[in-house]
Amino acid sequence: MSINKEELYNKLAEAVLNMEEEETVALSKQVIAENLDAYEAIVNGLTVGMNQAGKLFDEEEYFVPELLICSDAMYAGLEILKPHIKTKDNAIKRKAVIGVIEGDTHDIGKNLVKIMLETGGFDVIDLGRDVAPATFVEKAKEEKAEFIVVSTLMTTTMEGMNEVIEILNEEDIRDDYKVLIGGGPISQGYADKIGADGYAENAAEAVKLANRLVAAYGNEI
Amino acid sequence: MNDLTPKERIFRSLKKQTVDRAPVICPGGMMNAAIVEVMNKTGHTLPEGHHDSKIMAALANDVHLNTGFENFGIPFCMTVEAEVLGSEINYGTLSCEPKIQREVFSSVTDVVYRESGAMEKNARVNAIIEATYALSKRYPDVPVFGSVTGPLSTSASLVDPIPFLKELRKNRDGAHRVIDYVSDQIIEYAKLMIENGASVITIADPTATGEILGPTMFGEYAVKYLNKIIDAIHETNTPVVVHICGKMNAVKKFVPQIKSDAISTDSSISLKKLKEEYGQLTTMGNLSTYLLEFGEAEKISILTEKLKNDGIDIISPACGLSTSTPLRNINAMTNRVKES
Repeated sequence: MSINKEELYNKLAEAVLNMEEEETVALSKQVIAENLDAYEAIVNGLTVGMNQAGKLFDEEEYFVPELLICSDAMYAGLEILKPHIKTKDNAIKRKAVIGVIEGDTHDIGKNLVKIMLETGGFDVIDLGRDVAPATFVEKAKEEKAEFIVVSTLMTTTMEGMNEVIEILNEEDIRDDYKVLIGGGPISQGYADKIGADGYAENAAEAVKLANRLVAAYGNEI
Repeated sequence: MNDLTPKERIFRSLKKQTVDRAPVICPGGMMNAAIVEVMNKTGHTLPEGHHDSKIMAALANDVHLNTGFENFGIPFCMTVEAEVLGSEINYGTLSCEPKIQREVFSSVTDVVYRESGAMEKNARVNAIIEATYALSKRYPDVPVFGSVTGPLSTSASLVDPIPFLKELRKNRDGAHRVIDYVSDQIIEYAKLMIENGASVITIADPTATGEILGPTMFGEYAVKYLNKIIDAIHETNTPVVVHICGKMNAVKKFVPQIKSDAISTDSSISLKKLKEEYGQLTTMGNLSTYLLEFGEAEKISILTEKLKNDGIDIISPACGLSTSTPLRNINAMTNRVKES
């Protein structure tokens, strides 16, 4: 059975948006069976659906459980499609390290930002939770990341974000990285105070912010 | 009316009876005022005070005397409930509160149910109820606030929160079973505190926000199990305060359904407007903890005055206080409430 590929990609997007993991897997397999382009299916199908989910989250139509279930569907589809991507499509991705600052083990927000950054085409290295400030810097160097994304939910651990920036300043590598911060107690005011490059209120905003920084600084970072 | 004791004042406020002025309170638990400055001054420190009932009671009294908050608020963390139910706790340091190091279960279907009575067998629960007893006997005019972690937050401290949040949608029966069990355990814990002299129970449930759950699940889970706990506590004739985190846009309509004696909110909420909208509500809050940490004493004083003028029934910090909050800033708040 042959099928209009745009229609199939639309169905993929819908399956992700509607939290239908099994349907997403079945459609992804169909993409492969029909010899369609896996990269196209990811960009025009899975990613579109996940971005729509992110938009609904932004508009308070979807909430955290819905966004997580959508992302499960997206990742299940990715797992099938990724091995079929032709290498030429593997454009160099912007890399980010992400984690929850030391002292804090709340990682719901961090996980959402990670999902949306990956959806936005970033290569995200997840350092997990309770991560020491020095580890953010070490890993960013090691991974040659451009973005350091730090999250916390606790007022008592906010100061660790400042430490990340201080370490970068001390090592005279501050300009090599864009530092994005977020989480419950964080505000634009705090970001300005510690000299972070940006603050995002939620996961959807984080991706927009990262993209704005990429657009503004291009290859400087 | 000027000779109301702090305990009488809070009880009267919670019953909507006339008072000379609003009480100023810091309930403990997630919202505790065990700041580093007080601990360094008195030598009663954390993390020891999370375990030792004498240090806990002494520190609660230090906080009361130094900050001017008109209550004792214990414990100083929100991990006790999850510890009893099996999760691994990191007790933190002087300046960093305890946290869940690892949630013990990765799905609601994996939860191993403990029998009733588990709470009273736990050493930290015993330290808390001993401290409650000692404080309530020694200082009968000052209310002890027993702070418990709410049903959704405790469940998400027992089951890894990412699968847990998904299962609220994908496995509703399983999720209900776990939250119901957790609620029963919280009730046992609250009753132990009440039997040992706690005057008021505060429930803070930071996982149960409109931003995380959305209105449907907030109604299905948060309202249901908060009310289950509130009803059980009310059977002991003890008042209950519920603190709701976040902006509340999506869930404001549920506020009148929550059967607590007062509602406490984050600083982004206008309690004045909330009162206008729901006339029967007793409000508690909501001075910004960011302001308390980084603001000037004068501005804190002005905003406290605004809360007084807005007729907020009980004045308190809006969220968890940072342990590096300066004492003079807290004093600016509590002194302003007490000035006529």
